Amino acid sequence: MALQEDSLWYKDAVIYQLHVRTFCDSNADGIGDFVGLTQRLDYLQELGTTAIWLLPFYPSPLRDDGYDIADYTTVHPSYGTLEDFKTFLSAAHNRGIRVIIEMVMNHTSDQHPWFQEARSSRDNPKRDWYVWSETDTKYQGVRIIFLDTEMSNWTWDPVSKSYYWHRFFSHQPDLNFDNPAVFEATWEVMKFWLDMGIDGFRLDAVPYLVEREGTSCENLPETHAVIKEIRKRLDATYPGKMLLAEANQWPADVRAYFGEGDEFHAAFHFPLMPRMFMAVKLEDRKPIIEILDQTPAIPENCQWCIFLRNHDELTLEMVTNVERDYMYDEYATDKTMRINLGIRRRLAPMMENDRRRIELLNGLLMSMPGTPIIYYGDEIGMGDNIYLGDRNGVRTPMQWNGGTNAGFSFADPEQLYSPLISNSVYGYQVVNVDSQKRSNHSLLSWMKALIRTRNSYRVFSRGTMEFLRPSNHRVLAYVRELGNEKILVVNNLSCSAQAVELDLQRYKGYIPIEMFGRNLFPKFGELPYLLTLGPYQFYWFRLRRI
Amino acid sequence: MKDTIVQGLEQAYYNLVHMIAEFLPRFVVMLVIILVGLLVAYVIRYILRALLRLTRLDRVSEDAGASRVLRMAALPSMTELLSRSIFWITWIGFILVGVSILGVAGLQEQISRLFRFLPEIFIAMLILFLGLILANFLSRAALLASVNAGQRSPKLLSWSIRFVIWMLAISMALEELGLARQTVIAAFSIVFGASMLGLAIAFGLGGQDLARRALERHLGDSEKEKYKEPQPL
Amino acid sequence: MADETYLSDDLLRQLMSVGEVDLLVGILSHSSANTMRAAARSIENSLQQNFVRQRVAIISVDGGAVEDAASEDSVDPQTEGIAFSKGITSLRTIHRITAGFNSAPSAGLALRTILASSDLLRAKACAVVSPATSSTSPDWIANLLRPAFRDSFDFVAPMYSRHKFQGLLARNLLYPMTRALFGRRIRELYSDEWGFSNRLGAYCLTQDVWHEEPIRTRPEAWMGISAMTGPDFRCCQVFLGEKPQPPAGSGPDIVEALRQTVGSLFWCLETHQSVWLGRNGSEPVATIGPDHAVSAEPMDLDRARMFEMFQSGVKQLEPILHTILSSETHTNIQTVATLDQQTFRFGTDLWVKILYDFASAYHHSVINRDHLVQALVPLYRGKIYSFLMEHSDSSPGDMEAEGENLCLEFERQKPYLIEKWKAGVEVKS
Repeated sequence: MALQEDSLWYKDAVIYQLHVRTFCDSNADGIGDFVGLTQRLDYLQELGTTAIWLLPFYPSPLRDDGYDIADYTTVHPSYGTLEDFKTFLSAAHNRGIRVIIEMVMNHTSDQHPWFQEARSSRDNPKRDWYVWSETDTKYQGVRIIFLDTEMSNWTWDPVSKSYYWHRFFSHQPDLNFDNPAVFEATWEVMKFWLDMGIDGFRLDAVPYLVEREGTSCENLPETHAVIKEIRKRLDATYPGKMLLAEANQWPADVRAYFGEGDEFHAAFHFPLMPRMFMAVKLEDRKPIIEILDQTPAIPENCQWCIFLRNHDELTLEMVTNVERDYMYDEYATDKTMRINLGIRRRLAPMMENDRRRIELLNGLLMSMPGTPIIYYGDEIGMGDNIYLGDRNGVRTPMQWNGGTNAGFSFADPEQLYSPLISNSVYGYQVVNVDSQKRSNHSLLSWMKALIRTRNSYRVFSRGTMEFLRPSNHRVLAYVRELGNEKILVVNNLSCSAQAVELDLQRYKGYIPIEMFGRNLFPKFGELPYLLTLGPYQFYWFRLRRI
Repeated sequence: MKDTIVQGLEQAYYNLVHMIAEFLPRFVVMLVIILVGLLVAYVIRYILRALLRLTRLDRVSEDAGASRVLRMAALPSMTELLSRSIFWITWIGFILVGVSILGVAGLQEQISRLFRFLPEIFIAMLILFLGLILANFLSRAALLASVNAGQRSPKLLSWSIRFVIWMLAISMALEELGLARQTVIAAFSIVFGASMLGLAIAFGLGGQDLARRALERHLGDSEKEKYKEPQPL
Repeated sequence: MADETYLSDDLLRQLMSVGEVDLLVGILSHSSANTMRAAARSIENSLQQNFVRQRVAIISVDGGAVEDAASEDSVDPQTEGIAFSKGITSLRTIHRITAGFNSAPSAGLALRTILASSDLLRAKACAVVSPATSSTSPDWIANLLRPAFRDSFDFVAPMYSRHKFQGLLARNLLYPMTRALFGRRIRELYSDEWGFSNRLGAYCLTQDVWHEEPIRTRPEAWMGISAMTGPDFRCCQVFLGEKPQPPAGSGPDIVEALRQTVGSLFWCLETHQSVWLGRNGSEPVATIGPDHAVSAEPMDLDRARMFEMFQSGVKQLEPILHTILSSETHTNIQTVATLDQQTFRFGTDLWVKILYDFASAYHHSVINRDHLVQALVPLYRGKIYSFLMEHSDSSPGDMEAEGENLCLEFERQKPYLIEKWKAGVEVKS
């Protein structure tokens, strides 16, 4: 099954997010690599995913999970060689799976040769590739993102005796996009990977590319200009490739990164994610409806990317203080579960391993408008280890089977890059791919069915969405519509059985067909349509007029 | 002669025996009927009382204000009143049927007359009674209302109301009894007309103030604006 | 039979949709849909800010003007999806429930509807408010709800800062008498707003009193008195700020106010006699926030007319008062009524005796009970006249002391009432 030609492929994709290091180790050194990943591609194909988003695999001092890149054009030796990557890429393409890689444009590692040159002397030609200042008072009032570790956005460089600018860790100096040479160097890097055949970039930390005095140094017009230029060149030379923006902003601000369809192809919908968790805990649809109501329309060729969990903390930047306190109190009672402005936990533990809630959230993810992203391991309900530092608790090795090192590696357990999850609830002996493959009713099998169903209908990825607002606020119901394809989704957000009356007069005469069991339900008529739902239950109905 | 006397005596004796023989069973039948009537009346009262409790008549009567009237007249509750009346009516009915079986001529006639007239007497008394209560009640209500509204001649109004209602009740009661229909109506008309005239004059002279203020209130020059009381709540 | 049907199908349907809540606010109103909506909005804002996590519903009970309100509500059944702000605002849907009646329901029916709704919604705390006072201060509704919701109080009475010549009925009659008889020092039992717990709500709902006239017209004090007399209910008072005065002429006039409040108080004496007959003295209840306050701007009042009405009342109602009052009291009041305006003073002793005579006459039904309460009006006017004269220059402190004296007098003379209460009807020539 080769790749199909469709320039809008990203709209219909189901993306699987993983880190090479965490997935499979082929050479018994305790660290996952591309050869191992290539061996596991069949699994991803079976699952139904159509794209992989790889976290950074570049050479790096690994002080920020690889987002501190020391060389953009090769592979970290622990993960294999460039040749291994190429093999992986073509194996993925052969299975109809596209590959999206990370492009960290905003900053490099302080170990990157560019920075080493820039700091070496004030006259170095690369000096102006970074943002320098004699004082640490420029751009005052710009917020600090990593509040737990950084005191300032400026750090003193003892070598060149001046301050350099960094929005993230102090070992990640920001590149200076006011310098055209920096832009060209970046484009060269992108060309390098595009020529190799990758299908898209996830651009990291997009809003922070350019700095201007007196502003928040976020979302500046100059930043948009940089993106527009990249998109122009991409469309001209590499049609069908996509750019995915990481901009942790309110939807109205993120909207600007789609431009008139001439900037990003896709962007993450950050505020929606915590609100799905909140809605389930509150047993009230208000948070979801509220955030989607204030999400602006986007150009035809653009798409939101939605997710439940990812490699970072569950970010609570895009919520109000009241909402954040609530999320902390409900999902991170233990202070060790919190980091920065967020919660470092995986989906299953946050749902207290309640299969019904895990299914409901995945059901929401797959039926809301946008391209869903599954974080590796969440499809089998993997647990986390909050006692590992930083966000490493959600980056433990993938659990393939109940055997040695969970089937992840043949190295000595002590040699693994991270300890395995081994407790009695989420440990690899209990939660692993092999055991779940053996049951048709496991979470994995259920996820496969869910993804298969989603992939059979374009209405999920491209259709419109309209909320029904039944008076029972514990029920979230919406109709997705694309041409003749009509799907009714009804979710019970509460832990108890609910009755709901839906006003479906508009669809009078349609027959709802439950999509997982393909059973017919009574025809819609004039009267409100009565449905009863069990705790956390949801229905997907295809509406047919026969 | 002796024979005649003996015959007469025999005849009398025979008659007496015959009468007693005829009367005694009737009397027994009468007693039985009365006793059965008592039993039936008891049963009916019991059933009626249960039924009325079930339908919560007392609450309805409380809502309608009827219970209050009963309380004022020191009468039992509506349920009790109705069931007791039915008890007596039933039993009296049985008693009269029983008496009629005795076949005493004249008595039967009297009883049936009484029977015919009885309801009317009863109703007439009831009317008078209700009229009395109503007159008391309304005149006191009027007195309190006018005193509390600060009107100058509250007693006049109160007495007028009492008088009019009495007149009305008396004339209705007489009407019910069918006594001298025409005379009563004529008399009543005269008294009523006179009292109305009296009232009109009284109002005209004594109630100028009252009328003025009533008018003022209607014309919007609110009395409340002139007379300021602290708000109670 | 009417019992089971006072909740309409439509209301039940709404309650079903709302499900379980933590807090319920009931709005009692006979006013137009407009003020109702404005009140609901202001209450909602307050709830949004004070109870961000709790499940909250607002129920308005209204008659007549309902269709209007309902039509607006159907456009916006809940407040979801509108104005989204990053400030403090509730995480949850705040529900608005409309309990519509064809014609304006009685206050009793309205309260009963709220209690039943609260019970069905399993609200932990509930507040009843009137639209007139909804704009007082942003947090007042939260202040009413919090003690019942968080501090497990069962009855939350409001307390206000008032003008020194306002709320005179409460100060001279209702408060001291209730306090003396039921033994709890709650100042405002006859207010338009109060809060209560689900326990008290459920208790009141099961009482078989809802068809009684005093409950139909003025159920609020009965609820407070139930809390004072019922099984282990905890009462408190909470300061709500200045009591907004309804515009002149809009509230009930003196006669109506007395008929409703005193009528209901006497009725409560009747129904709760098993409790109060055995209580002595009084104990304070927990008070949250500052104590009540009294302000003293000048006020324009027609004192002379008040006195005149007192005098003429005592004269005109002589036969009625004769049947109600004890001979001694009657003679005393007649004597006092002959004094001139300047020297006239209504002694506390006499005032308390009068009220106790009235209460026991009510108990023995010597005349129609409504008439009985009306007969009190002229005497009340006399008392108020005397109060205004005595306190025209008093400081709030003096008035407070004087008020306390009156309360103590009521407590002291309670045996007098008990004796009369238990005795048969006094036969008078």
